[in-house]
Amino acid sequence: MSDTTQFRVLDFDCPTCASTVERALSNVDGVQHVEVHYATGRVEIEYDDSAVDPDAFAQTIESQGYTPQHA
Amino acid sequence: MNKQSITQYYRKHRKAIVTATSGLLYGGGWGLGYLTSFERASTAILVLATIVGGYDIAKTAYHEVSNRTLGIKTLVTLAAIGAIVIGEYWEAAAVVFLFSLGSYLEGRTMRKTRTALQELLEMTPDTATVRRDGELQEVPAREVEEGEVVIVKPGGKIPVDGEVVDGESAVNQAPVTGESAPVHKADGDEVYAGTVNQEGALEIRTTGAGADTTLERIIRRVEEAQEAQSPTESLIDRFAKYYTPAVIVLAIGAYAVTQNAILSLTLLVIGCPGALVIGPPVSIVSAIGNAARSGVLMKGGEHLERAGKIDLVAFDKTGTLTKGETTVADVEGFGVAGDEVLSLAATAEKKSEHHLADAIVDAARERPTAATDGGATVAQADDTDAGRHSIPDPDDFDVVAGKGVIAHTDAHEVVVGNRALLDDRDIDVPSQVADYVREREERGETVVHVVRDGDIIGAIALRDELREAAPGVVAALQDAGIETVMLTGDNERTAAAVAEEVGIDEYRAELLPEDKQSVIEAYQADGQVVAMVGDGINDAPSLATADVGIAMGAAGTDTAIETADMALMADDLERIPYAVKLSKATRWNVLENVGLAVLTVTVLLAGVLTSYVTLASGMLVHEASVLLVILNGMRLLRY
Repeated sequence: MSDTTQFRVLDFDCPTCASTVERALSNVDGVQHVEVHYATGRVEIEYDDSAVDPDAFAQTIESQGYTPQHA
Repeated sequence: MNKQSITQYYRKHRKAIVTATSGLLYGGGWGLGYLTSFERASTAILVLATIVGGYDIAKTAYHEVSNRTLGIKTLVTLAAIGAIVIGEYWEAAAVVFLFSLGSYLEGRTMRKTRTALQELLEMTPDTATVRRDGELQEVPAREVEEGEVVIVKPGGKIPVDGEVVDGESAVNQAPVTGESAPVHKADGDEVYAGTVNQEGALEIRTTGAGADTTLERIIRRVEEAQEAQSPTESLIDRFAKYYTPAVIVLAIGAYAVTQNAILSLTLLVIGCPGALVIGPPVSIVSAIGNAARSGVLMKGGEHLERAGKIDLVAFDKTGTLTKGETTVADVEGFGVAGDEVLSLAATAEKKSEHHLADAIVDAARERPTAATDGGATVAQADDTDAGRHSIPDPDDFDVVAGKGVIAHTDAHEVVVGNRALLDDRDIDVPSQVADYVREREERGETVVHVVRDGDIIGAIALRDELREAAPGVVAALQDAGIETVMLTGDNERTAAAVAEEVGIDEYRAELLPEDKQSVIEAYQADGQVVAMVGDGINDAPSLATADVGIAMGAAGTDTAIETADMALMADDLERIPYAVKLSKATRWNVLENVGLAVLTVTVLLAGVLTSYVTLASGMLVHEASVLLVILNGMRLLRY
């Protein structure tokens, strides 16, 4: 089943940083669609909940050097 | 401070600590080299400064490369490594420190823009007091079901959208509508989650809770608007895709030709179009956020940029410039008593849904019970219809669109309508009637004739009061160099009188709804950028035709929020000059930011190619320009 989750990253410091996180998240197995917005810091992930644990998303964002907050 | 809280503190402020440490080391290393001859120690400290400041940057650069994006962090890392390789330790440490400081400040300021809206959401309380099984219970606000009754104490925040079922109070609706004055609420009135109950206790039947409230919808809408790219932004994004690789090629080419490593590395540092890509989104996000807090929803950057070019604002008259509450101002009988004219007209109009018909029927119901008792009211407290007249149904009834009605009652034919309807039916208008009509129309009133069996027996003058703010709003727009036009279905004379009262530049009278669209199209054909202000429902077609459609009183009407380019949450006309001026300010702000960015890049490129600018000074100017555009954009948050 497809599910959606949202995060807010307040510390993006350049537009490329947002695209890097977007690429990293879309490389996570089970992720179907990712939107990362630099201007608002909003991250929206659509994923297959049988293929991936949503906890992995926060870790991915952190590993790129940014702080995700649950929205 | 125990170990755990130290770790937490470090995590939270990592960027600041790293930047400060790298800055101190950089300063120390530079000072040591400048003041003493401890060259090696100085070098070691500068390299350490580069490593401390550069570790996080390099880590992100690694992610950029492995995700195949080409960002500034990759370029900075390459430049710093390159500088160390060629022995320019001071340059390496300076680049890293200046970049960390710049991005720390950028992150902090952007956080402010990003949280501007969140403050609105935090207005909603987390819990609600509901009546369940006859008892009062405190439950999470998100779990309140539709139809449940919520109790809000004086001074409390309203946790859900709903309808007042008991109590009376003044509610501060600023978070939703931007109105600063509290609004009186009683039985049957709509209230919104996030607003503040100021006076009396209210019982509210829930119509929406959790994510299904007006405030939540507004915030989602605003975020979508902020994320939607404006034409300027997409243009810049397309440009940026080619700019960075082009500069890298230039850096390699420059090295091949000049063998000047510093020059090539400096090109890398300025190879990110920083201020250019950051400026416009910050301006637009700040402007949309500011507007939302003042009760104006903007659909997106594209609409905002277009609104910045508005040179004509067209207002629908009824309900926009006027209050939209038509009342009977005067009834005149010609050979018949005024009361009889009114009650006959009311019968004819009873089944009509026109707003003039409603006013006539209301006036007939409410008129003094008996003209002979001096207006004394008859006390019949237990009957809500006390003193009200009942209006008989007509035997049959036909609407003539835009002209009036024709009905039959008690074997009489009754025609209630304007001059056009009388002309259609060859009804003669005596000069006495024409004089009365002219006199009332010159006051801005609308007059309908009442005709019984072919003879005019009376006329009814109706008035729709101007909003107090209307003349000021028109004047404010004129001051801003914007042309103002009033569109109305009223006759020429009434329209002229109202137009003069508001001080509007131009008016178009006797328009059918579809005519309003053609009027707007005609202005557009003249090359004008036209905004249309209307109620969002009846005026939907003309709002859609205009370059910028502005809907009034949109709170609670989702269609208006969805379709209008700008929606004023409250019925507050004064937001229009504000919104138009904000759009103009935003357009300028975007241009300023683009101009500043292009200027910076040009100056930097010229400086690098003539060797006036090196790594550290290049980075300083680059970061300063980025900060400057962010701060300039953020001015719109306080506009």
